[in-house]
Amino acid sequence: MKMHETDQDAQADHEARDPAPRQRFFRNRGAPLLPEAGAAGAPLTAVIAVMSFLAVLAMASLLMVNRAASEWTSALRSEITVQIKGADEAEIAAGVSAALRVLEDTEGVIEATQRGREETAALLEPWLGEGNAQAFLNIPAIIEVKAAPELRSNLDLLRNRLAAAAPGATLDDHARWHNRLSSAARSGQAMAFGVFLLVMGAACAISIFAARAGLAANHEIVSVLHLVGATDDFIATEVQRRFFILGLRGALIGLAAALLALGLVGVAMRTGVAADSFLPAFSLGGFMILWLAAAPVATCLVTALTARLTVLKTLSRQY
Amino acid sequence: MDAGKEIVRFEEVGLAYEDAPETLSNVTMTLGEGEFRFLTGPSGAGKTSLLKMIYLAHKPTRGNFFLFGENAAEAPREALPALRRRIGVVFQEFRLLDHLTAFENVALPMKVAGVNQNQYREDVSELLNWVGLGHRMGAKPATLSGGEKQRVALARALVSKPDLILADEPTGNVDPAMGERIMKLFVELNKLGAAVIVATHDLHLVQSLGKPVLRIADGKVSRSAGAGGAA
Ligand SMILES: Nc1ncnc2c1ncn2[C@@H]1O[C@H](COP(=O)(O)OP(=O)(O)O)[C@@H](O)[C@H]1O
Ligand SMILES: [Mg+2]
Repeated sequence: MKMHETDQDAQADHEARDPAPRQRFFRNRGAPLLPEAGAAGAPLTAVIAVMSFLAVLAMASLLMVNRAASEWTSALRSEITVQIKGADEAEIAAGVSAALRVLEDTEGVIEATQRGREETAALLEPWLGEGNAQAFLNIPAIIEVKAAPELRSNLDLLRNRLAAAAPGATLDDHARWHNRLSSAARSGQAMAFGVFLLVMGAACAISIFAARAGLAANHEIVSVLHLVGATDDFIATEVQRRFFILGLRGALIGLAAALLALGLVGVAMRTGVAADSFLPAFSLGGFMILWLAAAPVATCLVTALTARLTVLKTLSRQY
Repeated sequence: MDAGKEIVRFEEVGLAYEDAPETLSNVTMTLGEGEFRFLTGPSGAGKTSLLKMIYLAHKPTRGNFFLFGENAAEAPREALPALRRRIGVVFQEFRLLDHLTAFENVALPMKVAGVNQNQYREDVSELLNWVGLGHRMGAKPATLSGGEKQRVALARALVSKPDLILADEPTGNVDPAMGERIMKLFVELNKLGAAVIVATHDLHLVQSLGKPVLRIADGKVSRSAGAGGAA
């Protein structure tokens, strides 16, 4: 059916008056079917920026706890300590040499060094006062042992041999510390991840509200789109695209703000009061940047997909 | 004209808005393939309401309703877009999208159906030229006069070459000459195979074209003889 054949004259007439209509179409090619005003552009972008800022911070804490935990535990994991007690210096010295002999021919011992007694005494100074430690106490000798993982995982044999060779020797594998640190790290990770999930949940909720409000505000447009044959999927895709663009904009703003904040924290940690703190130095490695960037991407995808599902659900109740 | 297939079939259909008494009751009518009907009746009689049921904007509250042979009153939601794409509607209040240009408004049914712009660009511009708006293709509806909007709405209804054309007072806002041209266009499209229903109160035009007339009064649809029977 070619309707324009019906009035050739009129058509030719109008074409003469419109020399280059085509250029004009191209300029208007990408006009969104659901206009800006509907899905509350600026406020939504701002909220998503805040969400993605928080998501990046949560992700950064997760990464920091991870890194700290692995640094603490790996340092502790390779180290065991042999402590030799005795009634006097001679007994301690005998115990030390016996223990060192045992350690020398134990497979898996990478290095065994006796810590200087002065060094040990210095560690006690804060509690006992300067110069008092050696005067009052028979300070035990300490041998630090770097152990290979195979040895580390089965210390019973070494423990027995040490006990046989030097009765005053006790072996400390730092298991209690290790366990405490790793459980502290686990709860830190769980908390950071929990915060991350909460932020994603909030992003979902906001997206649901905004998508519903957008549909209501664009009711007439949605209705016309349906009447000219649009599927719910088509409309949902339009909304999703719009939310994705807004989400991306907000997410990038949030990411930039979070990186700035983290950079400032990093500088403060390196130079300020926290310089020699327990936490590892915070720096943004390439790999870490990728993980941090994943947070706003997740925010953005969550927002867009939630909007899509909300639209599909809302429209499915209409005729 | 003895149409083989039925385009529209109402059986004892009633339509009520919310809790109000029925606006239309016991509508029984058919529209065959290639048939043309005028729909007349006083203002508020229910012409628009009847068309709304046909273009699937309102569900009948009772009765059977078939569209292109399908039970439209009970069709699942997913089946509606395909049915709607076979219908071109000129809405009484135009219902153009204000944020789109005239060109984009006319292109809407094609875009929505996923057709590539290269395939409809020519058709859209030719249609707009034909309705005398070749020079206003980039204009937003707010800058168009009532008659111009009506012509954009007409072009949008025709762009997808629908099997069924519904026009709700399509000559209400144009001058008599353009009104006559538009009516003749519907007659031409009907000759090319489209079924057409035109709701109008312009009895002069109705008489001059000599097509069958459906009259709505007191919620009932009745067939009154057209001036000259089927063309
Ligand atoms: N959406 C609606 N809600 C409630 N009543 C409506 C609605 N649309 C139309 N009506 C009522 O239905 C009756 C028929 O209206 P309509 O179909 O527009 O008549 P016409 O097109 O013949 O002028 C009128 O009394 C009108 O008030
Ligand atoms: Mg009406």
